[in-house]
Amino acid sequence: MSQTVVSTDPGVRHHAHHFDSAEHEFDSAKQGMWLFLVTEVLMIGAIFVAFMTFRGLYLEDFQAAHKLLSVPLGATNTVILITSSVTMVLGVTSAQRKQKGLTVLMLFLTFLLACGFLIVKYIEYTGKFHHGIMPAGLYTGVNEFAASSDAFKLFFSFYFVMTGIHAAHVVIGMGLILWIMRRAARGEFTGGYYTPVELVGFYWHFVDLVWIFLFPMLYLIG
Amino acid sequence: MTTHASPAGTNYLNWEKGIWSWMKTLDHKRIGLMYLASVLFFFFVGGMFAMIIRWEHLSGGPTVINQATYNQMFTYHGVIMVFLVVIPAIPAALGNFILPMMLGAKDVAFPRLNLFSYYLYVAGAIFASSSLFGWFGNPPADTGWTFYTPYSIRTSPTVILVLTGAFIAGFSSILTGLNFIVTIHKLRAPGLTWGKLPLFLWALYATSVVQVLATPVLAITLLLLILEKVIKIGIFDAALGGDPVLFQHFFWFYSHPAVYIMALPAFGIISEMIPVFTRKPIFGYKAIAYSSFGIALIAFLVWGHHMFVSGQSEFANFTFSLLTMLVAVPTGVKVFSWVGTMYKGSISYEAPMLYVFGFLELFMIGGLTGVFLGTLAIDVHLTQTYFVVAHFHYVMVGSTLMALIGGMHFWFPKMFGKLYNERAAAVGFWMVLAGFNLTFFPQFILGSQGMPRRYWSYLPEFTFLNQVSSWGSFLLGLGFLWIAIYLAYALLKGERASDNPWGSLGLEWQTSTPPPLENFATTPTVKEWSYDYRPGTPLPGSKTA
Amino acid sequence: MSDHKQHHILSTRLALTIGAVLLSLTGFTVYIAHFDFGRWNLIVALLVAVTKAMLVCLFFMNLLYDKKENSLIFATSFFFLAIFFTLLATDVFFRGPVKLAKGQALYLVATGAQAKPKFKRPWVATPELVARGKKVFTQNCASCHGDQGLGNGPASASINPKPRNFTQNDDWKKGRKVTDIFRTLTNGLNQMPSFASLSPEDKWAAAHYVQTFGAKAAEPAPADFALIKIDPNSEFGGAAATVKSIPIDVAIELVVRDAQRKN
Repeated sequence: MSQTVVSTDPGVRHHAHHFDSAEHEFDSAKQGMWLFLVTEVLMIGAIFVAFMTFRGLYLEDFQAAHKLLSVPLGATNTVILITSSVTMVLGVTSAQRKQKGLTVLMLFLTFLLACGFLIVKYIEYTGKFHHGIMPAGLYTGVNEFAASSDAFKLFFSFYFVMTGIHAAHVVIGMGLILWIMRRAARGEFTGGYYTPVELVGFYWHFVDLVWIFLFPMLYLIG
Repeated sequence: MTTHASPAGTNYLNWEKGIWSWMKTLDHKRIGLMYLASVLFFFFVGGMFAMIIRWEHLSGGPTVINQATYNQMFTYHGVIMVFLVVIPAIPAALGNFILPMMLGAKDVAFPRLNLFSYYLYVAGAIFASSSLFGWFGNPPADTGWTFYTPYSIRTSPTVILVLTGAFIAGFSSILTGLNFIVTIHKLRAPGLTWGKLPLFLWALYATSVVQVLATPVLAITLLLLILEKVIKIGIFDAALGGDPVLFQHFFWFYSHPAVYIMALPAFGIISEMIPVFTRKPIFGYKAIAYSSFGIALIAFLVWGHHMFVSGQSEFANFTFSLLTMLVAVPTGVKVFSWVGTMYKGSISYEAPMLYVFGFLELFMIGGLTGVFLGTLAIDVHLTQTYFVVAHFHYVMVGSTLMALIGGMHFWFPKMFGKLYNERAAAVGFWMVLAGFNLTFFPQFILGSQGMPRRYWSYLPEFTFLNQVSSWGSFLLGLGFLWIAIYLAYALLKGERASDNPWGSLGLEWQTSTPPPLENFATTPTVKEWSYDYRPGTPLPGSKTA
Repeated sequence: MSDHKQHHILSTRLALTIGAVLLSLTGFTVYIAHFDFGRWNLIVALLVAVTKAMLVCLFFMNLLYDKKENSLIFATSFFFLAIFFTLLATDVFFRGPVKLAKGQALYLVATGAQAKPKFKRPWVATPELVARGKKVFTQNCASCHGDQGLGNGPASASINPKPRNFTQNDDWKKGRKVTDIFRTLTNGLNQMPSFASLSPEDKWAAAHYVQTFGAKAAEPAPADFALIKIDPNSEFGGAAATVKSIPIDVAIELVVRDAQRKN
């Protein structure tokens, strides 16, 4: 099922032997991707459920703890990710239009924005560690960073786990973007075949989606 | 990697030879066989642990191992049997082989993903099994396969290896389910409408939905537990303000639907075999199909019945007990449909049908005792006793294992082009059935009398039944060994099978045996329902080629 | 299936517009976080987040222009997540019957929860005490001792030696007087746990009921009362009879809070 041979005609292209047509293959691949996103929803959603449980039980502690998070930094990351979703979408549409240069550019911008996200994260994390703000069992913050209760510290356990898993997905996404950037540069994508760009796009939008919920839950309402 | 139709006259087994051709294969049939071999291997390993446990229980005091080792034994028995055997067994092994053929398709939707899933299984298995040798000098895991906190947080770090193994194997399960859903949606042959979809596929479809929805929660649970041990996040640790019962919620949210991942495909196989060996159309086709989804849905509503004495609220106890009663309904629908199929049928007693009867006996007992346990007021007394151990072995072995072995016999000619010896198979079946009942029925009694589970020793009054159980287990083990022996013999020296020795109307039987690489010479068009056995339907022709 | 079907291509203008809307909503949610709406904070934040999510799903991920199948698949995941949270909530948000008013100290509830004793001089048997004793016995003792007191209750199957058969008058290790039974209840004996958590008058009542299974025992002497630190000249037994126990659920709550206070 080698897919390196691509027709310049947007309508015709090779497809795997067990599918009837390229359209059939694209449809199936897309559905497969949505099913994968379903598994991600359940996986990440479960931590959100745990977070909401503890928040419901220890509201004041969580609200006190979240004040130690930097809203400006969190908001910056939100802006970065939303913008990167826009560039990602434009990467997909330019691939569909066979605009090789623009596709590579958009994907590269997405990649850069992702780097920016990680840099901000790095600043946040190191800042926290510096003040002794760590997951509950390792928490050593004092004075204005002192924990007022166990639940206060648990907030930060959730903070690190949720943003950490999110950041790991960002890193994976960056790898995927580099991969399709390379393929785009080789002129592989047309209106008849842009499946990898579309699917990586879905992955990236999902990463953005998770952050759209993480940001207010952790940074804004605590 | 290019695959093309295999040369005429070859089949999927001989068109490409050599170990490397198997390791890089994209053919769902070969992948299914690799899974089957691996699952059977780990069944043997998990069985070894069971033998040690039963050997220890020949007496109430020390017999062969000490308490710490005992805890490790039941842990690894559970981990291996659940994650590496019973969960993948039918979907990944038989499902992979048969599903595309029943659809009239050339392969699953994502063959490379399929191979990747297999290697994930192998990786998970390696992580989990390697932990048996300890980790950096720490002893093997001893938490039970349920990893309850806070003990799992405090105990040996080797647990992390087991958790990682289960995590990775979980993704094998998820991706297989994903693959099957897209395959069933998108790769049906012309004419194969939903109303003609074989019941094994309805079952696999429901199973795949459960796999995709439930297993990710297991993944995050195991990951969180690893993080608990490594960076002390405290979410499940009361000493840090967390909630150990929350761990149980997270764990059982997957692990209860998991038992339906084990059972649903088994139901599907039973539904396939009964019409063939009673020469009657399946009774209640739609009911069986829909009940698979009914079971799949209810599966997600009842996990708290594993936690009746955990300290969860009375409200939760009440709710979960009530909801648990629901699951008996669609299950009962299936059993009545199967019995209705056999009624006035012309039953023949080849090995697959023997296993159908075995399934019916074991699963009925297992299922009914499940209703006892789901009843809150009774569970309070029976929980954490051998009653529970007996119950889940009856349902898990009763469903999955009976259907797996029965299915292996049913599709053996299709997969290998050889016939096994029926007499040998009957001997094996009776050894397994007798051995199983001798092993586990006494455990219902032991449990109701108060013998706790996961205890290394027991009070003197439990000795006799424990010895019965242990000797039963040795018979059971011998039965499995016997099955392995005659099946291996059949593989090597069995009679050549005809294309359709059972005279089945199933689509997978309408191609040559063993099948060619792409399953069908030309894509079939499905015109008939595959259960349309009537008087006048030709009986099986010669079984041999 | 045709290869020539044109897929929907999102216009650049629409993409940029949606992006702008998303950024504005982000600004809005940050702004609105400065106001405290109490429990509505969560709802407002979630509403904004869901709106943003819908825009991403419908436009950027193409669901608006795609087969409904994929939307159904994606939506199903949230449905099951909701099931998880809802049924989990029946446990975590409904635990413990101890409901405190705002600011109320648990300790005060604990001490206030003690029931005032009803029976004066409970070491003297009365029909009411024996009736009370039967209730206490059925709830606490019958599972081991059997409801006829023969030592053959359901839980006795796994106990070795068997629980005492109250119909036999001989060989009671700690004695058969009502004060002896009181003492055994307080201290426990071999495999029988201590029932010190029962109130003194419940223990007296149970003791009286147990005695009805066999022949009448001797009356306790002053020395017997001294042994259990009960003053037979007082109304309820003196200082030692003051309830030091609290309801189990209150005790559990205290233990949990105690553990959480440790840093």
